Amino acid sequence: MNPLDPRIHEALDGEREASALPEELARAVRPLERAVALLAAHVPGPSLEGRVLAAIRAPAPRRGGRFVQWLVTPHSITFHVRPVWSVAFAAVVAVLTLFPTGHHGPDIGEREGIAQFVGRFPGARSVSVVGSFNDWRDGSIALEDIDHDGVWRATVVLPTGAYEYMFVVDGERFVPDHLADRLVADDFGRENSVVIVRPARR
Amino acid sequence: MRWWLGLALLAQPVVAQSVRPRLEGRIPNDAVPGVDSIVAVASGEGLPTEPLIQKALEGGAKHVTAPRITAAVQASLEQLRGARALLERAGDTLPVKTAEVTTVAWALRRGLPQPVVERVVAALKPPRAAALHAVADLAAHRFNVDSSADLIIAAIHDGLQRERLLDVSAAAAHELQRGHTHAEALARVRAELPNVPGPPRPTANAVGRARRVATPPPP
Repeated sequence: MNPLDPRIHEALDGEREASALPEELARAVRPLERAVALLAAHVPGPSLEGRVLAAIRAPAPRRGGRFVQWLVTPHSITFHVRPVWSVAFAAVVAVLTLFPTGHHGPDIGEREGIAQFVGRFPGARSVSVVGSFNDWRDGSIALEDIDHDGVWRATVVLPTGAYEYMFVVDGERFVPDHLADRLVADDFGRENSVVIVRPARR
Repeated sequence: MRWWLGLALLAQPVVAQSVRPRLEGRIPNDAVPGVDSIVAVASGEGLPTEPLIQKALEGGAKHVTAPRITAAVQASLEQLRGARALLERAGDTLPVKTAEVTTVAWALRRGLPQPVVERVVAALKPPRAAALHAVADLAAHRFNVDSSADLIIAAIHDGLQRERLLDVSAAAAHELQRGHTHAEALARVRAELPNVPGPPRPTANAVGRARRVATPPPP
């Protein structure tokens, strides 16, 4: 470390005019003077005692505020569980997921099956299916377009067997099921679709 | 006295077969007497009546005129008579079952030639509905009808029966979709018999959504 020139000390202490210094020393004095000015401008913060007292005197947060604060503050939670309980819990969750105990729909007999009717009728106000399974009575099996995409569906339980059917669109237009593989002449100049209902229990 | 009692017992089934209550309000009034009498004739001949009632109700639902409804029901009666005659020719045990008559009438309406239906009937004991529908399904996919009947009869000989025969026709249709010719598809399925995949089971979701509807009595 180089010793400081005594004339610089004198200039910083105000005992000598900085302007009277040689140019080389004056260049060294100027940054030192700025540093001294910065140190003189610093206002020290409150002391530790002051900060503690300020905290004590501050109004206590409301109960709701404390609860919110508790909610948003990270906490460590530790469980001490025997592995056998963890396995049992996982087994219960698996059983409830794979075999839900809620509504299963109707009980289906040995000689009954499920028929699903699906048709695409964009813009239709109503769609139903009529056939030899419901005496061709319109409205007894209404299809639904739950997500309003123009695809109408109904799922019904029927006795096993073969049935002729048609869709009725907007209560007046008879339309065969274009997705059905089986069609048969209806003796009225058109074609009926044919569905074969197989036993649901096999 | 006994003579009157016998006459009353004979007349009772005819009276009980009146289907006017099911027809009135569902078909034009002008068609009710004609359809009712055709149904009575069918009942008297031991033929199934439900297909005739369904044909009339279908015509009523489709707003068909009374003469056309009566004509269609009469045509259905002729089909049932033809179906019973076929069953008798094929050597079915007398009296033939009404369900079998309905089944054969179905097969003929679906376009199967009479000789083919007779072959299937002769090869299989009742119930034959699935077998005949399986042959008709194959014919609908433009398979040769005789070859289709051969395949289904082979499946019967290999132990498949009832609804499983529908899986045979479905398997042949799948082979077509995979790009095979009709002859190749039939040969591939026949080579795999009796191992054809079954239909997908209804999903739990579908079962949960299913509704039960009031259904008419079986034919």
